[in-house]
Amino acid sequence: MRTLPPPLSITWPQEGVRRIPFAVYSDPDVFEHEQQAIFRGPIWHFLGLEVQIPDPGCYVLAQVGETPVIVVRGDDGEVSAMVNRCSHKGTPLAFVPSGKVSRFMCIYHNWCFDLKGNMTAAAFERGVRGKGGMASTFKKPEHGLQVLRVHRLHGLIFGTFSEQTPSFEEYVGADLIANIARVCGRPLRLLGQYSQAIPSNWKLYIENVKDPYHASILHAFNGVMKQDRLTMEGGIVMGNNGWSHISYSKMNFETGGDVYQNAEMRSAELDIYGFGLRDTSMTAIWDDFGDSVSMTIQTIFPNFVLQQLRNCLAFRTIVPVGTHESELRWIAFGYADDDEAKTNGRLKQANMMGPAGLIAMEDGMIGGLVQRGIAGSLDKAAVVEMGGHGIEPIPGSRVSEGSVRGFWTGYRALMGL
Amino acid sequence: MGTVTPGITVAQARQLITDYTYTIDDGAVSQWPTYFTEPCLYRITTRQNHEMIMPLSIMLCDNQAMLYDRVEAIEKANIFEPHYYRHVLSDSKVIDQTDSTLHMETSFICVRTMLDGRVTLFATGRYSDQIVFENGRCLFRSRVVILDSSKVDTLLAIPL
Repeated sequence: MRTLPPPLSITWPQEGVRRIPFAVYSDPDVFEHEQQAIFRGPIWHFLGLEVQIPDPGCYVLAQVGETPVIVVRGDDGEVSAMVNRCSHKGTPLAFVPSGKVSRFMCIYHNWCFDLKGNMTAAAFERGVRGKGGMASTFKKPEHGLQVLRVHRLHGLIFGTFSEQTPSFEEYVGADLIANIARVCGRPLRLLGQYSQAIPSNWKLYIENVKDPYHASILHAFNGVMKQDRLTMEGGIVMGNNGWSHISYSKMNFETGGDVYQNAEMRSAELDIYGFGLRDTSMTAIWDDFGDSVSMTIQTIFPNFVLQQLRNCLAFRTIVPVGTHESELRWIAFGYADDDEAKTNGRLKQANMMGPAGLIAMEDGMIGGLVQRGIAGSLDKAAVVEMGGHGIEPIPGSRVSEGSVRGFWTGYRALMGL
Repeated sequence: MGTVTPGITVAQARQLITDYTYTIDDGAVSQWPTYFTEPCLYRITTRQNHEMIMPLSIMLCDNQAMLYDRVEAIEKANIFEPHYYRHVLSDSKVIDQTDSTLHMETSFICVRTMLDGRVTLFATGRYSDQIVFENGRCLFRSRVVILDSSKVDTLLAIPL
Protein backbone atom coordinates (compact mmCIF):
# COMPACT_ATOMS: atom_id res chain seq x y z
CA MET A 1 0.00 0.00 0.00
CA ARG A 2 1.22 3.42 -0.92
CA THR A 3 1.13 5.88 1.92
CA LEU A 4 -0.80 8.99 1.04
CA PRO A 5 0.82 12.30 1.90
CA PRO A 6 -0.78 14.42 4.63
CA PRO A 7 -3.64 16.56 3.30
CA LEU A 8 -2.74 20.08 2.25
CA SER A 9 -3.83 22.87 4.52
CA ILE A 10 -5.39 24.82 1.65
CA THR A 11 -9.13 24.86 1.12
CA TRP A 12 -10.07 25.91 -2.39
CA PRO A 13 -12.65 28.73 -2.41
CA GLN A 14 -16.18 27.53 -3.05
CA GLU A 15 -16.36 29.64 -6.25
CA GLY A 16 -14.10 27.07 -7.93
CA VAL A 17 -11.51 27.91 -10.59
CA ARG A 18 -12.60 31.54 -10.82
CA ARG A 19 -10.73 32.01 -7.55
CA ILE A 20 -7.07 31.04 -7.10
CA PRO A 21 -5.95 30.86 -3.47
CA PHE A 22 -2.67 32.79 -3.22
CA ALA A 23 -1.23 30.10 -0.96
CA VAL A 24 -0.74 27.78 -3.96
CA TYR A 25 2.10 30.06 -5.10
CA SER A 26 3.90 30.14 -1.76
CA ASP A 27 3.22 27.07 0.34
CA PRO A 28 6.20 24.66 0.56
CA ASP A 29 3.83 21.70 1.13
CA VAL A 30 2.02 22.53 -2.11
CA PHE A 31 5.35 22.65 -3.94
CA GLU A 32 6.33 19.23 -2.57
CA HIS A 33 2.97 17.72 -3.39
CA GLU A 34 3.15 19.05 -6.98
CA GLN A 35 6.36 17.12 -7.51
CA GLN A 36 4.57 13.87 -6.85
CA ALA A 37 1.01 14.58 -7.97
CA ILE A 38 1.89 16.50 -11.14
CA PHE A 39 5.48 16.12 -12.27
CA ARG A 40 5.83 12.45 -11.31
CA GLY A 41 2.13 11.96 -11.93
CA PRO A 42 -0.09 11.39 -14.98
CA ILE A 43 1.18 14.16 -17.25
CA TRP A 44 3.21 14.28 -20.48
CA HIS A 45 6.30 16.43 -19.94
CA PHE A 46 8.39 17.95 -22.73
CA LEU A 47 11.88 16.41 -22.69
CA GLY A 48 13.60 17.76 -25.79
CA LEU A 49 13.88 17.44 -29.54
CA GLU A 50 14.95 14.65 -31.82
CA VAL A 51 17.17 17.10 -33.69
CA GLN A 52 19.17 17.52 -30.47
CA ILE A 53 20.04 13.80 -30.50
CA PRO A 54 20.52 12.93 -34.18
CA ASP A 55 22.73 9.83 -33.80
CA PRO A 56 22.87 6.73 -31.59
CA GLY A 57 24.52 7.65 -28.28
CA CYS A 58 23.57 11.32 -28.51
CA TYR A 59 21.94 12.49 -25.32
CA VAL A 60 20.51 15.68 -23.86
CA LEU A 61 19.62 16.38 -20.25
CA ALA A 62 16.12 17.41 -19.22
CA GLN A 63 14.33 18.10 -15.99
CA VAL A 64 10.87 16.90 -15.01
CA GLY A 65 9.98 18.95 -11.97
CA GLU A 66 12.92 18.41 -9.66
CA THR A 67 13.88 15.10 -11.24
CA PRO A 68 16.89 15.11 -13.59
CA VAL A 69 16.35 13.07 -16.75
CA ILE A 70 18.58 11.81 -19.57
CA VAL A 71 17.09 11.62 -23.07
CA VAL A 72 19.17 9.42 -25.35
CA ARG A 73 19.02 7.78 -28.76
CA GLY A 74 19.80 4.07 -28.68
CA ASP A 75 21.76 2.02 -31.18
CA ASP A 76 18.43 1.02 -32.72
CA GLY A 77 17.52 4.67 -33.31
CA GLU A 78 14.79 4.65 -30.68
CA VAL A 79 14.63 7.35 -28.00
CA SER A 80 14.75 6.46 -24.32
CA ALA A 81 14.38 8.63 -21.24
CA MET A 82 15.58 7.69 -17.78
CA VAL A 83 16.25 9.31 -14.46
CA ASN A 84 19.79 10.70 -14.36
CA ARG A 85 20.58 8.84 -11.14
CA CYS A 86 22.88 5.88 -10.69
CA SER A 87 21.00 2.98 -9.12
CA HIS A 88 23.88 2.48 -6.67
CA LYS A 89 24.25 5.71 -4.68
CA GLY A 90 22.20 8.17 -6.66
CA THR A 91 24.99 10.05 -8.43
CA PRO A 92 24.04 11.75 -11.71
CA LEU A 93 25.43 9.72 -14.61
CA ALA A 94 25.77 12.70 -16.92
CA PHE A 95 26.41 16.29 -15.91
CA VAL A 96 27.37 17.87 -19.23
CA PRO A 97 24.09 19.18 -20.74
CA SER A 98 24.46 17.27 -24.03
CA GLY A 99 26.94 14.89 -25.60
CA LYS A 100 27.54 11.55 -27.25
CA VAL A 101 28.36 8.35 -25.38
CA SER A 102 28.45 4.61 -25.96
CA ARG A 103 27.10 3.91 -22.46
CA PHE A 104 26.60 5.69 -19.15
CA MET A 105 29.29 5.03 -16.57
CA CYS A 106 29.03 6.39 -13.05
CA ILE A 107 32.13 8.31 -11.95
CA TYR A 108 31.69 7.17 -8.35
CA HIS A 109 32.02 3.34 -8.55
CA ASN A 110 32.00 2.65 -12.30
CA TRP A 111 28.52 1.18 -12.45
CA CYS A 112 27.66 1.00 -16.15
CA PHE A 113 24.37 1.22 -18.00
CA ASP A 114 23.53 0.79 -21.67
CA LEU A 115 21.60 3.35 -23.71
CA LYS A 116 18.30 1.75 -22.67
CA GLY A 117 19.18 2.05 -18.97
CA ASN A 118 20.01 -1.64 -18.38
CA MET A 119 22.80 -2.23 -15.91
CA THR A 120 25.78 -3.90 -17.59
CA ALA A 121 28.66 -3.83 -15.10
CA ALA A 122 29.94 -2.66 -11.73
CA ALA A 123 33.56 -2.23 -10.66
CA PHE A 124 34.93 -5.25 -8.77
CA GLU A 125 31.64 -7.05 -9.28
CA ARG A 126 33.39 -10.39 -8.72
CA GLY A 127 35.85 -9.02 -6.19
CA VAL A 128 39.60 -8.76 -6.47
CA ARG A 129 41.64 -11.94 -7.07
CA GLY A 130 38.63 -14.04 -6.19
CA LYS A 131 37.94 -12.26 -2.91
CA GLY A 132 34.96 -10.06 -2.12
CA GLY A 133 32.57 -8.90 -4.78
CA MET A 134 28.87 -8.18 -4.79
CA ALA A 135 26.58 -10.26 -2.60
CA SER A 136 25.00 -13.30 -4.20
CA THR A 137 21.64 -11.58 -3.84
CA PHE A 138 22.72 -8.82 -6.23
CA LYS A 139 21.14 -9.16 -9.67
CA LYS A 140 22.08 -6.60 -12.31
CA PRO A 141 18.74 -6.82 -14.17
CA GLU A 142 17.05 -5.58 -11.00
CA HIS A 143 19.15 -2.43 -10.89
CA GLY A 144 18.63 -0.72 -14.20
CA LEU A 145 17.86 2.97 -14.36
CA GLN A 146 14.34 4.20 -13.75
CA VAL A 147 12.86 4.75 -17.21
CA LEU A 148 10.07 7.02 -18.35
CA ARG A 149 7.46 6.23 -20.98
CA VAL A 150 8.31 8.23 -24.08
CA HIS A 151 6.11 9.65 -26.82
CA ARG A 152 7.57 11.22 -29.96
CA LEU A 153 5.60 13.56 -32.16
CA HIS A 154 6.97 15.56 -35.11
CA GLY A 155 10.44 15.69 -33.59
CA LEU A 156 9.23 16.59 -30.08
CA ILE A 157 9.94 14.16 -27.26
CA PHE A 158 7.61 13.87 -24.28
CA GLY A 159 7.91 11.60 -21.27
CA THR A 160 5.85 10.49 -18.31
CA PHE A 161 6.57 8.66 -15.05
CA SER A 162 3.06 7.36 -14.58
CA GLU A 163 1.43 4.24 -15.97
CA GLN A 164 -1.89 6.06 -15.54
CA THR A 165 -1.09 8.77 -18.08
CA PRO A 166 -3.49 8.48 -21.02
CA SER A 167 -2.15 8.34 -24.56
CA PHE A 168 -0.69 11.63 -25.76
CA GLU A 169 -3.53 11.99 -28.27
CA GLU A 170 -6.10 11.64 -25.53
CA TYR A 171 -4.10 13.91 -23.21
CA VAL A 172 -4.03 16.94 -25.50
CA GLY A 173 -6.70 16.35 -28.14
CA ALA A 174 -6.78 16.48 -31.92
CA ASP A 175 -6.71 20.27 -32.34
CA LEU A 176 -3.50 20.64 -30.37
CA ILE A 177 -1.86 17.76 -32.20
CA ALA A 178 -2.82 19.46 -35.46
CA ASN A 179 -1.03 22.65 -34.39
CA ILE A 180 2.10 20.71 -33.42
CA ALA A 181 2.01 19.17 -36.90
CA ARG A 182 1.50 22.62 -38.40
CA VAL A 183 4.49 24.22 -36.64
CA CYS A 184 6.82 21.23 -36.22
CA GLY A 185 5.81 18.92 -39.06
CA ARG A 186 8.96 19.41 -41.13
CA PRO A 187 12.66 19.07 -40.32
CA LEU A 188 13.64 21.62 -37.71
CA ARG A 189 16.85 23.59 -37.40
CA LEU A 190 17.91 24.64 -33.92
CA LEU A 191 18.92 28.30 -33.70
CA GLY A 192 20.02 28.29 -30.07
CA GLN A 193 18.86 28.27 -26.48
CA TYR A 194 19.09 30.15 -23.21
CA SER A 195 17.22 30.38 -19.96
CA GLN A 196 15.92 32.96 -17.52
CA ALA A 197 15.88 32.83 -13.74
CA ILE A 198 12.29 33.73 -12.89
CA PRO A 199 11.70 35.10 -9.36
CA SER A 200 8.31 33.51 -8.94
CA ASN A 201 6.40 30.30 -8.62
CA TRP A 202 6.23 28.38 -11.92
CA LYS A 203 2.44 28.60 -12.03
CA LEU A 204 2.49 32.40 -12.18
CA TYR A 205 4.48 32.11 -15.39
CA ILE A 206 2.32 29.48 -17.06
CA GLU A 207 -0.84 31.38 -16.06
CA ASN A 208 0.62 34.44 -17.76
CA VAL A 209 1.20 32.41 -20.94
CA LYS A 210 -2.39 31.16 -20.82
CA ASP A 211 -3.85 34.62 -20.32
CA PRO A 212 -4.47 36.47 -23.61
CA TYR A 213 -6.25 39.20 -21.62
CA HIS A 214 -2.93 40.80 -20.64
CA ALA A 215 -1.10 40.48 -23.94
CA SER A 216 -1.67 43.91 -25.43
CA ILE A 217 -1.99 45.67 -22.06
CA LEU A 218 1.12 44.70 -20.11
CA HIS A 219 3.12 44.47 -23.32
CA ALA A 220 2.76 48.00 -24.60
CA PHE A 221 5.14 47.11 -27.40
CA ASN A 222 2.52 44.71 -28.74
CA GLY A 223 -0.29 47.16 -28.64
CA VAL A 224 1.60 50.15 -29.92
CA MET A 225 3.15 48.21 -32.73
CA LYS A 226 -0.22 46.66 -33.51
CA GLN A 227 1.51 43.30 -33.19
CA ASP A 228 -1.20 41.65 -31.15
CA ARG A 229 -4.30 43.50 -30.17
CA LEU A 230 -7.30 41.67 -28.84
CA THR A 231 -9.35 43.42 -31.48
CA MET A 232 -7.52 41.35 -34.13
CA GLU A 233 -9.28 38.27 -35.44
CA GLY A 234 -8.36 35.30 -33.32
CA GLY A 235 -9.53 32.92 -30.68
CA ILE A 236 -8.78 30.26 -28.15
CA VAL A 237 -8.84 26.52 -28.79
CA MET A 238 -9.01 24.25 -25.79
CA GLY A 239 -7.36 20.85 -25.53
CA ASN A 240 -9.08 17.84 -24.02
CA ASN A 241 -10.55 18.67 -20.61
CA GLY A 242 -9.40 22.27 -21.05
CA TRP A 243 -6.02 21.59 -19.43
CA SER A 244 -4.02 22.67 -22.50
CA HIS A 245 -4.82 25.38 -25.03
CA ILE A 246 -3.97 27.40 -28.12
CA SER A 247 -4.42 31.14 -28.40
CA TYR A 248 -4.15 32.46 -31.95
CA SER A 249 -4.59 35.56 -34.03
CA LYS A 250 -4.60 36.27 -37.73
CA MET A 251 -2.64 38.76 -39.77
CA ASN A 252 -5.16 41.50 -39.82
CA PHE A 253 -3.73 44.77 -38.69
CA GLU A 254 -6.94 46.26 -37.49
CA THR A 255 -5.97 48.78 -34.83
CA GLY A 256 -9.04 48.64 -32.62
CA GLY A 257 -8.12 52.18 -31.64
CA ASP A 258 -11.36 53.24 -29.97
CA VAL A 259 -11.49 50.29 -27.60
CA TYR A 260 -7.95 50.95 -26.48
CA GLN A 261 -8.37 54.74 -26.22
CA ASN A 262 -11.59 54.47 -24.27
CA ALA A 263 -10.13 52.08 -21.73
CA GLU A 264 -7.32 54.57 -21.04
CA MET A 265 -4.69 51.96 -21.71
CA ARG A 266 -1.02 52.71 -21.51
CA SER A 267 -0.44 51.36 -25.00
CA ALA A 268 -2.97 53.82 -26.37
CA GLU A 269 -1.33 56.73 -24.55
CA LEU A 270 1.92 55.84 -26.20
CA ASP A 271 0.40 56.51 -29.60
CA ILE A 272 0.81 60.21 -28.93
CA TYR A 273 4.56 59.74 -29.00
CA GLY A 274 4.29 58.54 -32.55
CA PHE A 275 6.27 55.48 -31.57
CA GLY A 276 6.93 53.21 -34.49
CA LEU A 277 9.70 50.99 -35.66
CA ARG A 278 12.31 52.71 -37.78
CA ASP A 279 13.66 49.37 -38.90
CA THR A 280 11.52 47.06 -40.98
CA SER A 281 13.25 43.77 -40.21
CA MET A 282 10.88 43.07 -37.33
CA THR A 283 7.83 43.70 -39.43
CA ALA A 284 9.07 42.21 -42.71
CA ILE A 285 7.25 38.98 -42.08
CA TRP A 286 5.98 36.12 -44.17
CA ASP A 287 3.19 33.60 -43.85
CA ASP A 288 5.05 30.46 -42.77
CA PHE A 289 2.04 28.18 -42.85
CA GLY A 290 -0.13 29.66 -45.60
CA ASP A 291 -3.07 30.16 -43.25
CA SER A 292 -2.70 33.85 -42.33
CA VAL A 293 -2.36 32.88 -38.66
CA SER A 294 0.39 35.17 -37.41
CA MET A 295 0.46 34.14 -33.77
CA THR A 296 -0.12 30.87 -31.96
CA ILE A 297 0.74 30.25 -28.35
CA GLN A 298 0.08 26.64 -27.42
CA THR A 299 0.47 25.16 -23.96
CA ILE A 300 0.58 21.53 -22.96
CA PHE A 301 -0.29 20.97 -19.33
CA PRO A 302 1.50 21.57 -17.06
CA ASN A 303 4.46 23.65 -18.19
CA PHE A 304 5.24 23.47 -21.93
CA VAL A 305 4.78 26.23 -24.48
CA LEU A 306 5.04 26.11 -28.27
CA GLN A 307 5.39 29.63 -29.60
CA GLN A 308 4.80 31.06 -33.06
CA LEU A 309 5.13 34.85 -32.87
CA ARG A 310 4.98 35.74 -36.53
CA ASN A 311 8.13 33.93 -37.76
CA CYS A 312 9.76 33.68 -34.34
CA LEU A 313 9.43 30.04 -33.29
CA ALA A 314 10.38 28.64 -29.91
CA PHE A 315 9.76 26.01 -27.28
CA ARG A 316 9.57 27.08 -23.66
CA THR A 317 9.53 25.02 -20.49
CA ILE A 318 9.06 26.52 -17.05
CA VAL A 319 10.99 24.40 -14.57
CA PRO A 320 9.99 24.69 -10.90
CA VAL A 321 13.00 25.33 -8.64
CA GLY A 322 11.32 26.43 -5.40
CA THR A 323 8.11 28.08 -4.24
CA HIS A 324 9.46 31.48 -5.31
CA GLU A 325 11.91 30.49 -8.03
CA SER A 326 11.76 28.85 -11.45
CA GLU A 327 13.85 28.55 -14.57
CA LEU A 328 12.38 29.39 -17.96
CA ARG A 329 14.17 27.48 -20.72
CA TRP A 330 13.92 28.68 -24.32
CA ILE A 331 14.84 26.82 -27.50
CA ALA A 332 14.57 28.84 -30.73
CA PHE A 333 14.17 27.07 -34.04
CA GLY A 334 13.53 27.43 -37.73
CA TYR A 335 13.38 24.87 -40.50
CA ALA A 336 16.16 22.87 -42.14
CA ASP A 337 15.15 24.26 -45.54
CA ASP A 338 15.08 27.92 -44.47
CA ASP A 339 17.19 30.08 -46.75
CA GLU A 340 19.53 32.70 -45.31
CA ALA A 341 16.92 35.44 -45.51
CA LYS A 342 14.41 33.43 -43.50
CA THR A 343 16.97 32.43 -40.90
CA ASN A 344 18.04 36.06 -40.51
CA GLY A 345 14.42 37.11 -40.28
CA ARG A 346 13.75 34.64 -37.48
CA LEU A 347 16.92 35.71 -35.66
CA LYS A 348 15.88 39.37 -35.82
CA GLN A 349 12.34 38.61 -34.74
CA ALA A 350 13.90 36.76 -31.78
CA ASN A 351 14.31 40.28 -30.34
CA MET A 352 10.68 39.79 -29.27
CA MET A 353 11.45 36.81 -26.99
CA GLY A 354 13.60 35.99 -23.99
CA PRO A 355 14.94 38.11 -21.13
CA ALA A 356 15.50 41.09 -23.46
CA GLY A 357 12.35 40.40 -25.47
CA LEU A 358 10.58 43.52 -26.66
CA ILE A 359 7.36 41.63 -25.99
CA ALA A 360 8.46 38.94 -23.53
CA MET A 361 10.52 40.91 -21.04
CA GLU A 362 7.54 41.86 -18.89
CA ASP A 363 6.43 38.23 -18.64
CA GLY A 364 9.56 37.26 -16.75
CA MET A 365 9.04 40.04 -14.26
CA ILE A 366 5.31 40.13 -13.66
CA GLY A 367 5.18 36.89 -11.66
CA GLY A 368 7.83 38.20 -9.29
CA LEU A 369 5.80 41.35 -8.76
CA VAL A 370 2.66 39.31 -8.06
CA GLN A 371 4.62 37.20 -5.62
CA ARG A 372 5.63 40.36 -3.75
CA GLY A 373 2.09 41.70 -3.79
CA ILE A 374 0.50 38.57 -2.34
CA ALA A 375 2.99 38.21 0.52
CA GLY A 376 1.06 38.44 3.76
CA SER A 377 -2.24 37.71 2.01
CA LEU A 378 -2.06 33.95 1.63
CA ASP A 379 -5.59 33.60 2.98
CA LYS A 380 -6.87 35.66 0.03
CA ALA A 381 -7.47 34.63 -3.58
CA ALA A 382 -7.08 35.93 -7.14
CA VAL A 383 -10.24 36.75 -9.11
CA VAL A 384 -10.37 35.14 -12.54
CA GLU A 385 -13.74 35.95 -14.11
CA MET A 386 -12.98 37.51 -17.50
CA GLY A 387 -15.09 35.61 -20.01
CA GLY A 388 -17.30 34.02 -17.36
CA HIS A 389 -16.82 31.17 -14.94
CA GLY A 390 -16.21 28.28 -17.27
CA ILE A 391 -13.45 27.06 -19.50
CA GLU A 392 -15.36 27.01 -22.77
CA PRO A 393 -13.82 29.36 -25.33
CA ILE A 394 -15.85 32.31 -26.57
CA PRO A 395 -16.00 31.89 -30.35
CA GLY A 396 -13.80 34.44 -32.11
CA SER A 397 -12.67 36.12 -28.90
CA ARG A 398 -9.54 36.08 -26.82
CA VAL A 399 -10.78 38.47 -24.15
CA SER A 400 -11.15 35.61 -21.72
CA GLU A 401 -9.38 33.89 -18.87
CA GLY A 402 -11.05 30.60 -19.75
CA SER A 403 -7.72 28.97 -20.56
CA VAL A 404 -6.36 30.06 -17.16
CA ARG A 405 -9.38 28.43 -15.52
CA GLY A 406 -8.66 25.37 -17.70
CA PHE A 407 -5.16 25.10 -16.22
CA TRP A 408 -6.55 25.23 -12.69
CA THR A 409 -9.14 22.60 -13.58
CA GLY A 410 -6.33 20.20 -14.40
CA TYR A 411 -4.28 21.32 -11.43
CA ARG A 412 -7.09 20.73 -8.96
CA ALA A 413 -7.86 17.32 -10.44
CA LEU A 414 -4.29 16.11 -10.01
CA MET A 415 -3.60 17.82 -6.70
CA GLY A 416 -6.87 16.78 -5.06
CA LEU A 417 -7.54 20.39 -4.11
CA MET B 1 50.16 48.61 -25.46
CA GLY B 2 50.78 51.31 -28.00
CA THR B 3 50.27 49.05 -31.01
CA VAL B 4 49.43 51.33 -33.91
CA THR B 5 47.15 50.70 -36.84
CA PRO B 6 46.70 53.56 -39.26
CA GLY B 7 44.20 55.82 -37.62
CA ILE B 8 43.64 53.80 -34.42
CA THR B 9 45.75 53.23 -31.36
CA VAL B 10 44.87 50.76 -28.65
CA ALA B 11 44.57 53.72 -26.31
CA GLN B 12 41.94 55.32 -28.57
CA ALA B 13 40.02 52.06 -28.83
CA ARG B 14 40.20 51.65 -25.11
CA GLN B 15 38.84 55.15 -24.65
CA LEU B 16 35.83 54.20 -26.79
CA ILE B 17 35.21 51.15 -24.62
CA THR B 18 35.46 53.26 -21.47
CA ASP B 19 33.17 55.99 -22.77
CA TYR B 20 30.58 53.40 -23.81
CA THR B 21 30.67 51.80 -20.37
CA TYR B 22 30.12 55.08 -18.54
CA THR B 23 27.32 56.02 -20.91
CA ILE B 24 25.46 52.79 -20.11
CA ASP B 25 26.21 52.89 -16.39
CA ASP B 26 25.14 56.54 -16.18
CA GLY B 27 21.77 55.49 -17.59
CA ALA B 28 22.14 57.53 -20.80
CA VAL B 29 20.69 54.79 -23.01
CA SER B 30 19.62 57.30 -25.65
CA GLN B 31 23.33 57.88 -26.41
CA TRP B 32 23.95 54.17 -26.98
CA PRO B 33 23.48 54.16 -30.79
CA THR B 34 26.08 56.91 -31.23
CA TYR B 35 28.84 54.42 -30.43
CA PHE B 36 28.17 52.33 -33.56
CA THR B 37 28.81 52.60 -37.28
CA GLU B 38 26.11 52.21 -39.92
CA PRO B 39 25.62 49.37 -40.63
CA CYS B 40 26.82 47.74 -37.43
CA LEU B 41 26.37 44.67 -35.29
CA TYR B 42 25.42 44.57 -31.64
CA ARG B 43 24.39 41.28 -30.15
CA ILE B 44 24.24 39.57 -26.80
CA THR B 45 24.77 35.84 -26.84
CA THR B 46 25.88 33.14 -24.43
CA ARG B 47 29.09 31.21 -24.27
CA GLN B 48 27.10 28.02 -24.85
CA ASN B 49 25.48 29.27 -28.07
CA HIS B 50 28.76 30.84 -29.17
CA GLU B 51 30.70 27.60 -28.74
CA MET B 52 27.97 25.48 -30.32
CA ILE B 53 27.91 27.93 -33.25
CA MET B 54 24.23 28.63 -32.65
CA PRO B 55 23.20 31.99 -34.13
CA LEU B 56 20.49 32.92 -31.62
CA SER B 57 20.96 36.25 -29.83
CA ILE B 58 19.38 37.54 -26.64
CA MET B 59 19.51 40.99 -28.24
CA LEU B 60 20.38 41.73 -31.88
CA CYS B 61 20.72 44.99 -33.81
CA ASP B 62 22.48 45.26 -37.15
CA ASN B 63 21.83 48.86 -38.10
CA GLN B 64 21.29 52.27 -36.53
CA ALA B 65 17.51 52.06 -36.96
CA MET B 66 17.37 48.90 -34.88
CA LEU B 67 19.52 50.49 -32.17
CA TYR B 68 17.18 53.49 -31.99
CA ASP B 69 14.11 51.22 -32.02
CA ARG B 70 15.52 49.41 -29.01
CA VAL B 71 16.19 52.71 -27.19
CA GLU B 72 12.67 53.91 -27.91
CA ALA B 73 11.16 50.63 -26.70
CA ILE B 74 13.17 50.82 -23.47
CA GLU B 75 12.25 54.44 -22.86
CA LYS B 76 8.59 54.43 -23.93
CA ALA B 77 7.07 50.96 -24.29
CA ASN B 78 8.72 48.34 -22.10
CA ILE B 79 7.85 48.25 -18.41
CA PHE B 80 10.39 47.20 -15.83
CA GLU B 81 11.60 48.20 -12.41
CA PRO B 82 14.12 51.02 -12.72
CA HIS B 83 17.69 49.86 -12.20
CA TYR B 84 21.30 50.73 -12.87
CA TYR B 85 24.29 48.77 -14.06
CA ARG B 86 27.86 49.08 -12.86
CA HIS B 87 30.39 47.49 -15.19
CA VAL B 88 33.92 46.66 -14.16
CA LEU B 89 36.21 45.91 -17.10
CA SER B 90 39.47 44.04 -17.43
CA ASP B 91 42.38 45.16 -19.54
CA SER B 92 41.74 44.59 -23.23
CA LYS B 93 43.45 42.00 -25.35
CA VAL B 94 44.24 42.71 -29.00
CA ILE B 95 43.05 39.71 -30.98
CA ASP B 96 43.75 40.98 -34.46
CA GLN B 97 44.41 44.15 -36.36
CA THR B 98 44.15 45.16 -39.97
CA ASP B 99 44.74 48.49 -41.68
CA SER B 100 41.30 49.68 -40.69
CA THR B 101 40.04 47.53 -37.83
CA LEU B 102 41.16 46.66 -34.36
CA HIS B 103 39.69 43.46 -32.91
CA MET B 104 39.83 43.53 -29.13
CA GLU B 105 38.35 41.52 -26.32
CA THR B 106 37.57 42.80 -22.83
CA SER B 107 36.17 40.90 -19.87
CA PHE B 108 33.48 42.45 -17.71
CA ILE B 109 31.38 41.94 -14.67
CA CYS B 110 28.14 43.86 -14.33
CA VAL B 111 26.41 44.51 -11.01
CA ARG B 112 22.76 45.57 -11.08
CA THR B 113 21.23 47.85 -8.44
CA MET B 114 17.47 48.20 -8.11
CA LEU B 115 15.90 51.35 -6.65
CA ASP B 116 14.84 49.47 -3.50
CA GLY B 117 18.48 48.71 -2.79
CA ARG B 118 18.78 45.14 -4.02
CA VAL B 119 22.27 44.62 -5.48
CA THR B 120 23.06 41.51 -7.52
CA LEU B 121 25.89 40.23 -9.64
CA PHE B 122 23.92 40.42 -12.87
CA ALA B 123 26.22 39.26 -15.65
CA THR B 124 29.79 38.33 -16.44
CA GLY B 125 31.36 37.74 -19.81
CA ARG B 126 33.45 39.34 -22.46
CA TYR B 127 33.09 41.90 -25.20
CA SER B 128 34.41 40.95 -28.60
CA ASP B 129 34.78 44.24 -30.46
CA GLN B 130 35.62 45.31 -34.01
CA ILE B 131 36.63 48.94 -33.72
CA VAL B 132 37.12 51.29 -36.67
CA PHE B 133 37.85 54.98 -37.19
CA GLU B 134 35.03 56.78 -38.98
CA ASN B 135 33.89 60.39 -39.20
CA GLY B 136 36.79 61.49 -37.08
CA ARG B 137 36.24 59.12 -34.15
CA CYS B 138 36.50 55.50 -33.06
CA LEU B 139 33.29 53.49 -33.34
CA PHE B 140 32.13 49.92 -32.90
CA ARG B 141 31.54 48.24 -36.19
CA SER B 142 30.69 45.17 -34.17
CA ARG B 143 30.23 44.57 -30.44
CA VAL B 144 29.36 40.99 -29.47
CA VAL B 145 28.61 40.43 -25.78
CA ILE B 146 29.33 36.82 -24.86
CA LEU B 147 27.77 36.01 -21.49
CA ASP B 148 29.53 33.35 -19.43
CA SER B 149 26.26 31.86 -18.19
CA SER B 150 23.43 30.68 -20.37
CA LYS B 151 20.99 31.68 -17.63
CA VAL B 152 20.05 35.35 -17.44
CA ASP B 153 18.48 36.86 -14.35
CA THR B 154 14.82 37.61 -15.10
CA LEU B 155 15.16 40.54 -17.45
CA LEU B 156 17.77 42.21 -19.59
CA ALA B 157 16.25 45.52 -20.60
CA ILE B 158 19.24 47.84 -20.82
CA PRO B 159 22.02 46.85 -23.23
CA LEU B 160 25.22 45.57 -21.67
